[in-house]
Amino acid sequence: MNNKLGLIIAGFVILLILLMNSFYSVDETEQIILTQFGAPIGDAVNEPGLKMKVPFIQKVNRFDKRFLEWDGDQNQVPTKDKKFIFVDSYARWQITDPLQFFRRLRDERGAQSRIDDILDGETRNAVASHDLVELVRTSNREPDMDAEIFDVIVDSLETIEVGRIAIQEIVLELANERASDLGIAILDFRFKRINYVEDVRQTVYDRMISERIKIADLFRSEGQGEASRIEGEKERELLEIQSAAFREAREIRGRGDADAASIYNEAYNSSATTRELYDFIKAMEAYGTAFDKQTTIFLSTDSEFFKYLKSID
Amino acid sequence: MSEFKNPFEGNDLNIPPQIKNLMGNIRMILIGIVAVVLLFSSVYTVEPEEVGVVQRFGEYVRTAESGLNFKIPFTERVKIVPVERQLKQEFGYRTVESGVQTRYTKAGYVDESLMLTGDLNLADVEWVVQYRITDPYNYLFKVRNPDKTLRDMSEAAMRQVVGNRTVNEVLTIGRASVAARVQEILQELNTEYETGIRIEQVVLQDINPPDPVKPSFNSVNEAQQQRETLINQARSEYNRVIPRARGEALQTIQQAEGYAINRTNTAQGEVAAFVDLHREYIRAPQVTKRRIYYETMQELLPKIGNKVITDQDGVNVLPLLQMQMEGALPVNQNSQNN
Repeated sequence: MNNKLGLIIAGFVILLILLMNSFYSVDETEQIILTQFGAPIGDAVNEPGLKMKVPFIQKVNRFDKRFLEWDGDQNQVPTKDKKFIFVDSYARWQITDPLQFFRRLRDERGAQSRIDDILDGETRNAVASHDLVELVRTSNREPDMDAEIFDVIVDSLETIEVGRIAIQEIVLELANERASDLGIAILDFRFKRINYVEDVRQTVYDRMISERIKIADLFRSEGQGEASRIEGEKERELLEIQSAAFREAREIRGRGDADAASIYNEAYNSSATTRELYDFIKAMEAYGTAFDKQTTIFLSTDSEFFKYLKSID
Repeated sequence: MSEFKNPFEGNDLNIPPQIKNLMGNIRMILIGIVAVVLLFSSVYTVEPEEVGVVQRFGEYVRTAESGLNFKIPFTERVKIVPVERQLKQEFGYRTVESGVQTRYTKAGYVDESLMLTGDLNLADVEWVVQYRITDPYNYLFKVRNPDKTLRDMSEAAMRQVVGNRTVNEVLTIGRASVAARVQEILQELNTEYETGIRIEQVVLQDINPPDPVKPSFNSVNEAQQQRETLINQARSEYNRVIPRARGEALQTIQQAEGYAINRTNTAQGEVAAFVDLHREYIRAPQVTKRRIYYETMQELLPKIGNKVITDQDGVNVLPLLQMQMEGALPVNQNSQNN
């Protein structure tokens, strides 16, 4: 009784294991290659869901079908113009032909190291055959110079011939050529970080500092120049205003004097009697003002004034 | 059943009746546990800002909205994706603790933020990418590690944009255009990669020159201020002097006008008086002359301090009259003192 139950249970378990082994699930993110004793069987399975296979004999090899990441190491590379820089790049790639991929690379680890070789090499070549500015700039865009700082300096960007994006495309194309029989496609390659190596950085800082000092000096001297110009303008205007006023005042005064003289002349010089009267009056006026308390005057009794003191005849 | 009792049989313990009872019901308990497990693996909740992506044997079958949801246990799996939540990635710094006073750390992230500008200078750019998962299917199944992918793309895009601008542009007026351009490129890349991510905003935080260069950048700002100060001082000096000079000039001219008017009026007045006098003079020249002469003398002589009247013939006493000698005294005293 017990023995029979054991047999039934054992049979059931074996059946279950067989059943379990003849089904497999494929995730949305996966593609599958079935292998039989190590040799691939049939096409890749791309459709997700529950699938069947021959139990135990066929083995499931799962490959990711999403875009996969590749992150390059930081490489120290000299550019064509002998500048030492770090280049850190990334790429996205995909297993496009899982069968070929399985044959050539076996798994993702193998793929990553092949991609390392290919992309690192191509990056190195591309960097070494271009000037730094070509790797940094994308286009010959004109800099926008609206800020106040551009009052004193003119920014210029070097002209480039290739540019960052084009270089990335070159690397991508060459890498895909070399990876063409690996069952993968490299979809995108980009420079993530490009930077000077540590000891070059200091010289760049020094250059930036000296540039800033130059700009600061320009600002200061511009300020002084402008201040001097205003000062000069002030002095010129001051002199102009003062001298113009002086001239006008003198002219007005002169005209007044002239008008007065002509009025006098017309009256005093009109006849012999006016001249005589004028002479007399002026003499009298002059006497009136010419003497004061300190004056000592000797008057003769012969004078007109005293003549009546002597005699009334 | 006997297996379960074995450990107790070995000892001489008094097994409480509750335990015995429990042992008797072990079948029920097992069924209960299985039922609970089944229930828990077939029910799941999705929060309001999330959706659940359901896969059956790996195949995508449906997207579950927020609330209580059911699935077939053991054959269906759920991945929760926060589609309504705004996510962010920080570059060049990290928020250590957010709150009223958010704390940040920048240590160790210099490599992320230090980048080359188009004129081969260096700038330190810190930014945030705010994004949302709009397509959970793509987000889960099209790209492995979409967040890392977004990070890489952001860094590349920012460097591409900054690399095409001068350091002055990046540090001054370029901010807005840099952020807009990066957002544009990032969105394009995300569409191309089918990451299911929508870029909400790229926000530039601090853009600074690298630390060793900072003081010299500050000195440029200072020099700019100095320039303004110098110019303003000159302008204020100008404003202090020139309007006043203009007023003074007007004063001078007005004074001259006054002088001229005074002169002509005086002349006209005097002439009018003269003309009147002359009219009378013509009628009686001798009398008029004498009258004026005497009037003048009358006024004049009292003003003179010292008067000596002499007689030519010497017949009369000399001096005939000596009027008010005191008037002459100060002269003598002065001469003695000297």
